[in-house]
Amino acid sequence: MATDTSTEPRHGGGRDAPAARRLSAWLKGYRPLPGVPDELFDEHGRPRDRWIAFLGEFAAHTEGAFGIATRHLRDTGASHRVYGEDHEQTWPIDPLPLILDQAEWDEITAGVTQRANLIEAVLQDIYGEGKLVSEGALPAAALAGSPDFLRSMVGAKPAGGRYLQLYAADLGRGPDGRWWVLDDRTQAPSGAGYALQNRLVVSRAYPALYNSMNVHRVAPFFDAFRKGLSEAGDRSDPRICLLTPGPFSQTYFEQAHLARYLGFLLVEGDDLVARDGKVYVRTIAGLKRADVILRRVDADFLDPLELNTSSRLGTPGMLEAIREGGVAVMNMPGSGVMESRALLGFMPQLARRLLGEELKLPNVATWWCGQPRERDLVESTLEDLIVAPAFNTPNPDGGFAGPRLVADMSPDERAAFMRKFADRPGDFVGQDVVRLSTMPVLRDGKLEPAPFVLRVFAAATPDGIKILPGGFCRMSDRTDVRAISMGEGARTADVWVIDEKPVERLTLIPSRDDVKVRRILGHLPSRAADNLFWLGRYIERAEATLRLVRSLCTSLMASEAAIHASGETFDTLRRLLVEWGALDEKTMASSVLEAARASLHDETAWGSVISLVRSAKRTASGMRERLSPDFWALLLELEADLGGDEVLGSEAEALKQVEDALQHLAGLSGLSQENMNRVAGWRFLDMGRRIERGVNICRFTRMLAHDKATLDDLDLLLDLADSQITYRARYLVGLALTPVRDLVMLDPYNTRSLAFQLTTLKDHLSVLPTLQDDGMLEEPSRILLPLATEVETEDARRLDADKTHRWERALMRASGAIADRFFLQGANAVPTVKLVGLA
Amino acid sequence: MIYGLRHRTTYSYSDSVSFARCVLRLTPRSSASQTVLESSIRVTPRPSMRQERTGAFGAQMVTVMVDRPHDTLVIDARSRVDVHTPPPPDAISSLPWEAVRGLAFENRDIGPEGPANYLYATNRTQLVPRITDYARESLKPGRPIVAAVSELMSRVYRDFRYDPGATEVSTPVWQAFDARHGVCQDFAQIMISGLRGLGVPTAYVSGYLRTIPPEGQPRLEGADATHAWVSVWCGEAAGWVGFDPTNDILAADDHIVLAVGRDYADVAPIDGVILATGAQTLKVEVDVVPEDGT
Repeated sequence: MATDTSTEPRHGGGRDAPAARRLSAWLKGYRPLPGVPDELFDEHGRPRDRWIAFLGEFAAHTEGAFGIATRHLRDTGASHRVYGEDHEQTWPIDPLPLILDQAEWDEITAGVTQRANLIEAVLQDIYGEGKLVSEGALPAAALAGSPDFLRSMVGAKPAGGRYLQLYAADLGRGPDGRWWVLDDRTQAPSGAGYALQNRLVVSRAYPALYNSMNVHRVAPFFDAFRKGLSEAGDRSDPRICLLTPGPFSQTYFEQAHLARYLGFLLVEGDDLVARDGKVYVRTIAGLKRADVILRRVDADFLDPLELNTSSRLGTPGMLEAIREGGVAVMNMPGSGVMESRALLGFMPQLARRLLGEELKLPNVATWWCGQPRERDLVESTLEDLIVAPAFNTPNPDGGFAGPRLVADMSPDERAAFMRKFADRPGDFVGQDVVRLSTMPVLRDGKLEPAPFVLRVFAAATPDGIKILPGGFCRMSDRTDVRAISMGEGARTADVWVIDEKPVERLTLIPSRDDVKVRRILGHLPSRAADNLFWLGRYIERAEATLRLVRSLCTSLMASEAAIHASGETFDTLRRLLVEWGALDEKTMASSVLEAARASLHDETAWGSVISLVRSAKRTASGMRERLSPDFWALLLELEADLGGDEVLGSEAEALKQVEDALQHLAGLSGLSQENMNRVAGWRFLDMGRRIERGVNICRFTRMLAHDKATLDDLDLLLDLADSQITYRARYLVGLALTPVRDLVMLDPYNTRSLAFQLTTLKDHLSVLPTLQDDGMLEEPSRILLPLATEVETEDARRLDADKTHRWERALMRASGAIADRFFLQGANAVPTVKLVGLA
Repeated sequence: MIYGLRHRTTYSYSDSVSFARCVLRLTPRSSASQTVLESSIRVTPRPSMRQERTGAFGAQMVTVMVDRPHDTLVIDARSRVDVHTPPPPDAISSLPWEAVRGLAFENRDIGPEGPANYLYATNRTQLVPRITDYARESLKPGRPIVAAVSELMSRVYRDFRYDPGATEVSTPVWQAFDARHGVCQDFAQIMISGLRGLGVPTAYVSGYLRTIPPEGQPRLEGADATHAWVSVWCGEAAGWVGFDPTNDILAADDHIVLAVGRDYADVAPIDGVILATGAQTLKVEVDVVPEDGT
């Protein structure tokens, strides 16, 4: 590139020589694409000041910092899911942000604000009076073709008065240097949470640089967004839910992240119940009203009763509740109709008609071919155009989908397209080809230009439309940027809007004094209680299995316990592993090392440690917004350690791994004891652990402290109950049946004993909410209270296997009773059968 | 002709159902071709909530909620309807079908009667090139729409075998087309797919057909069935015209319209969601009784 790279940057003095050389090499090696504008170099081929200011500092200090920041991303599980794949992928963020100056940003702000207002006005009309259609400004067929034109919402008034709470526009800079609107996102725009995530990573990676460049903060936008949502509710302190399609959604991480950041309740369709014209959340304290729902579920799936009857993501009766005004669902179902490309071509006239203004940001020139004149125009200039489906109709037979450059089509594709176009031109739009501008990205240490699309977010707030200063930037490897989606190896970048003067620093701290002090954040949803309970059980079971494997390994090593390897104790150990699904019969008979390996790593065994950890992770992933990032990071690390392909060469290595894993689990327990608020959520996690531990100790006692138990048996039992030290300190005489039984079963001071688990469970139940208003006990307490009393008053000399077994079964019953009382029992709604045949 | 109609649906559950919520489209609608004299729907057990509203395609919809345990749910709809279908437009002098297509795309009515609603593919009625080509053989360039669609109807009647039990409500249109058999719903869907494939506005109609018992035999109680056919928009003047491919006739005074929509999903007599674990069975009894006693 023939440029004047000697231009001395004005910022960042004191740069060292290697950094200056690096910067110079980056700039010299940078080759913008011919014919399109570039963000780094201006039209005269000179690098822009704001980029030099950034790159200079970046070259000097901060390159290495980015690696650390992105590792944090991986550790905290920031991810997205490529459609159709099982595994989530780590979030692909580029170290360089897109940098825009204030003047340019002001234009974008004005343009996107105008467009948000325009789209709101169009929606108000088409779902209200319908003048645009009846007076001929919009053909009825241009609306009717969209699966998101919801006729059942015509005439319904949105509870908050608005259709759009959050709107996003995909922008690209065209060859003329202007910004163009490529697409509107009105259904349930994604990406704001990722923008937040990108900002956290980048500002963490280079805090000094970030602060020195006067970058506009994003927190005030989210604060205003939240205020806007709460205004939509009709109570002063509305319960706001974020409705997610669930952990298998492509952007689940983003949804969980947003919910946690904004303090919204993350719910799935099953968590909600519609009745009497309102929507409620199922919580452990019964049904609680959901006032405002920010939905990430597409409208068609919201209500299996009225819309897509095969939907498993929705809530039957939700639309009725919306029509009755009992719940504000944002964006209003039906808003998605504005994503139809067919409507793009009408936007300039609609702006004149509804706002009396010209569009401040043009949208890409688009012709809907359902009109004869437009069809003829497109047909005659087909070679130079992109053709695209006019509506977001799912395409069942594959075939033609997404925007295509006609010139790129193969003869067969073209023939197929021409046939469809001839019969049904109204299914298509023709669009001008917009070649998008490029921005620098770092690839293999070199600076390269990449085309990009910028998603800008607009929120309706009490003070009008607010624009997120920044946004969600996606870059493509390909030149056809119109097809950028997160599934195609695209990368993302933070977006910096640079002010000339220092910006006000503000995070989410409310400015007014009217914040009500509260210590408990609403009622725990039943689903979260369910997940936490099972997370507790899985973690405890994993720990117990690890202890079994440890005993298996040490049985061969510890000199005093070498006898374990022979005899019945050893068999008991292996049999337990088989009964718990950690080992199969065949592997049980092989060497100790094989058995240990299998119990730790066998992914096909449901009870192996790796399987249990994965179950714990899967359970945790359904409520990531409730777990601290540290908790999640430890869980991921544990999975990585156990799931690695390293082969354990000896019992000693196996033992080392078991010890490491036990330490990880101790870390998880520590975190949940010390870092989780002692509200209902923590209680369910702990109850899961206590139930599991209580059941396990009963079982171990039955198998190892029976009337004919050997010294080895008792020794192993104390190992599994982690009670060796206590026993040895208390009883100098050595192992004996009655004191061992007392210690592991009845001693209320031993945190591993059955008695201790029961006392703790009793405490938890006594503070959880009750549904009874007649002062009667609920079922879990009816089971646990007498059990706890019986154990408390039992004498170890009379404790036999039958009694232990009875207690174990009572605990299992208590677990079921807790599930029945608190979880989403019986929530599996099914559609009624349809007529099998018609005449 | 005045008809007494009875449409009784019985759900039986193997395990008790604690909660049911249903949308019922069981109230016939008055229109140019019929007048509803009386109608009522009775649900047993008694619903704890019941609401009525006009649906997106003009049908009267009743939403009911039953929230006490039950093992049988009976929905009994009765009505009296006076059918007076105007004579069909003259086949030869109707508009050329391409002109109808052009008018439909320009039309300014987005309400239930607006042709624009009935131009596109739906989840249940996809547009399939081979079905479009099948329809094309009847929709020759410049041909009057009523004549062209009548011929298409006759071909469907001839080319496809009526075979109850061969298909289900969920059978995709191409499957019935390829197998060359089906019931009224399949034939209606084939017409819809073929005509919309060429841009002709076509609606799905559910309703009842008067059946005439064999000579000398009494009409059997509950022996009638719900029926389905199509309605094609033939331009502003001619309006909507009903074509019944199962019987190769234009809809007239023997056809009583229950609901009109883009596909079966818009007109399904009952959509329901229940909380249940066990199996469910369904029985439907329909009686169409002409009041003159025949």
